[in-house]
Amino acid sequence: MDRRKFLKYTAAVGAGTIIWGNPLQLRAATPDVVWVSGGEPADLLSAALRSFGGINAFISRGDVVVIKPNIGWDRAPQFAANTNPTLVAEIVKACYETGAKKVKIFDRTCNNPQRCYKNSTIQETAEKYGAEVEHVRDFKFKKFSLPEGKLLKEWPIYQDYLEADKVINMPIAKHHSMSRVTLGMKNLMGVMGGNRGEIHNRFSTKINDICSRILPGLTIIDGYRILIRNGPSGGNLNDVKLTKTLVMSPCMVSSGIGTFQSQNK
Amino acid sequence: MARFRRIVQILFLFFFIFLFLRARYPYEVNLSSDVFLRFSPLIPVFYLIDNLSLSLMFWPALLILFLTIFLGRFFCGWICPLGTTLDIWDRIIKAPSNRTNGKWLKMRWVKFGILTSAIFLAIFSYNVWGFFDPLAIFTRITTVIIYPVSTFFSEKILVLGANLSFLESAVYPVYDGFKSMIMPESQSFYQSVFWTLLLLVGILTLEKLSRRFWCRNVCPAGALLGILSQFRLYERVVGDPCPVCNRCQTDCKMNAIPAGNVKETNKVECIECFNCGEKCPPEAKSITFRLRLNPYHTQPDFLRRQFLASGAAGLVTLGFFSVGLSHKTSSDRFLRPPGSLPENEFLDRCIRCLECVRICSSNGRCLQPGDFGVSLLNLWTPVAIMREGYCEYNCNLCGLICPTDAILPLTLEVKQKTPIGLAYFDKNICIPYERNEDCLVCEEHCPTPDKAIKFDVKEAVFSDGSRKKVKYPYVVRELCIGCGICEEKCPLPGAPAIYVTRTNEKRWETLPAGAQLKAGAQS
Repeated sequence: MDRRKFLKYTAAVGAGTIIWGNPLQLRAATPDVVWVSGGEPADLLSAALRSFGGINAFISRGDVVVIKPNIGWDRAPQFAANTNPTLVAEIVKACYETGAKKVKIFDRTCNNPQRCYKNSTIQETAEKYGAEVEHVRDFKFKKFSLPEGKLLKEWPIYQDYLEADKVINMPIAKHHSMSRVTLGMKNLMGVMGGNRGEIHNRFSTKINDICSRILPGLTIIDGYRILIRNGPSGGNLNDVKLTKTLVMSPCMVSSGIGTFQSQNK
Repeated sequence: MARFRRIVQILFLFFFIFLFLRARYPYEVNLSSDVFLRFSPLIPVFYLIDNLSLSLMFWPALLILFLTIFLGRFFCGWICPLGTTLDIWDRIIKAPSNRTNGKWLKMRWVKFGILTSAIFLAIFSYNVWGFFDPLAIFTRITTVIIYPVSTFFSEKILVLGANLSFLESAVYPVYDGFKSMIMPESQSFYQSVFWTLLLLVGILTLEKLSRRFWCRNVCPAGALLGILSQFRLYERVVGDPCPVCNRCQTDCKMNAIPAGNVKETNKVECIECFNCGEKCPPEAKSITFRLRLNPYHTQPDFLRRQFLASGAAGLVTLGFFSVGLSHKTSSDRFLRPPGSLPENEFLDRCIRCLECVRICSSNGRCLQPGDFGVSLLNLWTPVAIMREGYCEYNCNLCGLICPTDAILPLTLEVKQKTPIGLAYFDKNICIPYERNEDCLVCEEHCPTPDKAIKFDVKEAVFSDGSRKKVKYPYVVRELCIGCGICEEKCPLPGAPAIYVTRTNEKRWETLPAGAQLKAGAQS
């Protein structure tokens, strides 16, 4: 299965559920995955949430929510190296509207954290809606055991992530030379401590070892602008494609990454 | 007057520390942080020797030099942060009074000797005065020792507080505020800590011999200002009721009042601290200050013999500098920050203040104070050690902060296209080449719009006969700017499998046209 096929199937499943159900029945039969396209970030998000019956399908009153967008690179939003800031702001707003106690946002960045948080504009936009946007603090990575891991038996994971009531994973769909495209699982590297470079050889096994133990409650893939070449850091506007798409699922849809990986071998 | 002087001293010290702390990302003050280093009176003099021209960039120093002619060494007594630090230190360690340290008087000529040798060497285009510049010393010690040490302790204490559950919520905001206002995001490692520590301990220990030992006997800036201060417009007058208690003499910071004659003042040594007026016993109150328009002359304590000796010492030093310590393995990896002048001019212009190293510590953290490794002159010059950090692609702050433009203030666009080196793979240890496993961490981080690290896909055959496609990275020379993020992020322990060398570096002699940037401006 290649990326195109994978995306098509996802789209089909999503579209199918939307067509099949009328809004009243949706609550009874929530879809596995929803694919929406052709709108602005806020519209995409609300459309996708509607088909799950609203954000309260995932977030309850009084929850401490961790949102994990990609803030990894010192790039402005139009370079599509970081998650769309409007999308992040909208989901923060939705969480608070449904009664979340606190929304925390952080990422272990690749470039200088101050630069990334600022240049991605995620800090500014998310704080406007009351999210706590924090730099990762080294002392908060705690050893986390992975009893079923094939290669890794333990890895440091960020404390706030483990302690959160609900986790929303918000990757941006980007090109990456190693797996062609990176989505949800690669994005979770932002909560991993230690020498992350070490994960990169025999990547697919190692990332599975860790991610299968720290699954998020909801994954929202930002496909508003995607990076089609020169990922994951990008930096060239010619490599950015405006696709105005969003994929949402309570399961880490992006486990498709393993499929792409095996394709490459 | 002495109290007023103390207030001014403390204000200037805070001003310098404030500017030092502002020298970090985001660098958005309208007052450029390097302005305080341009207070250094030595800079315009040596700039003149180097370039046979004056630069208005050093207006604070030129102003001080001009005023010194009429006001004397007020810079040493009122402004110099190193002097203020020593004054505070003297109070702590109770430095001895002039009653016991008379024997050090004969050392006074050394500072003139250092100034002479430095001028002599500058004519031969060797910059040694930067090592002795008081403001550079202050910034250097603060950058390499004081600041990291205080950061270390404050961070440890805050983390300790955060671990106590009842303090946790109170400590985090403090920690975050501290982190974004004062600390660098992550603490730097500095390689030449030893020499800087030696300098710090040396200067502080010498205070046990006499107050302001450094200023009295070593500082070439003090020597220069002392020689200049011949037309001082006012003088200290000791009135007739003076009981000759010698208190002003024994407590003089600079020993500028001769032991035999309290009515005289050595204008070359006096730093206008006005302590003598304060020390004069209230029942006598015989010291006053008044304007005087026909000034008298004080000879600097510098004999012809000593002048010749320091000239000769300069010549010997010149010989030392010609001794080669470098071999190609180390010198070709001695990377300079982007925008550095060509190497010889760079060494001439750099005052070894390490302000660039300080501002880099809040960004990519590649800049380190240089060591003796390559040559004697390279001590405390900035060198980029990419394994410890990398040059942040969107950052040009080292050029903006450099007080003497030894690192030119390139615009971001020019800086991003100015290679400071070239990366090479060590295929013997690089994971894909050595183990036939994918890695590509270097390629992932490469920041150029068209990646300078590309890869071939080849089929590898394993011992059990199985085959697998593996991606083998390589560097494209034309695209690589030597930023070194590949070297820093390389997951191998110890030595990296990709490293940056000085090959292909681009040095600008002047700012490229259209790249002029206002001080403090930043994109």
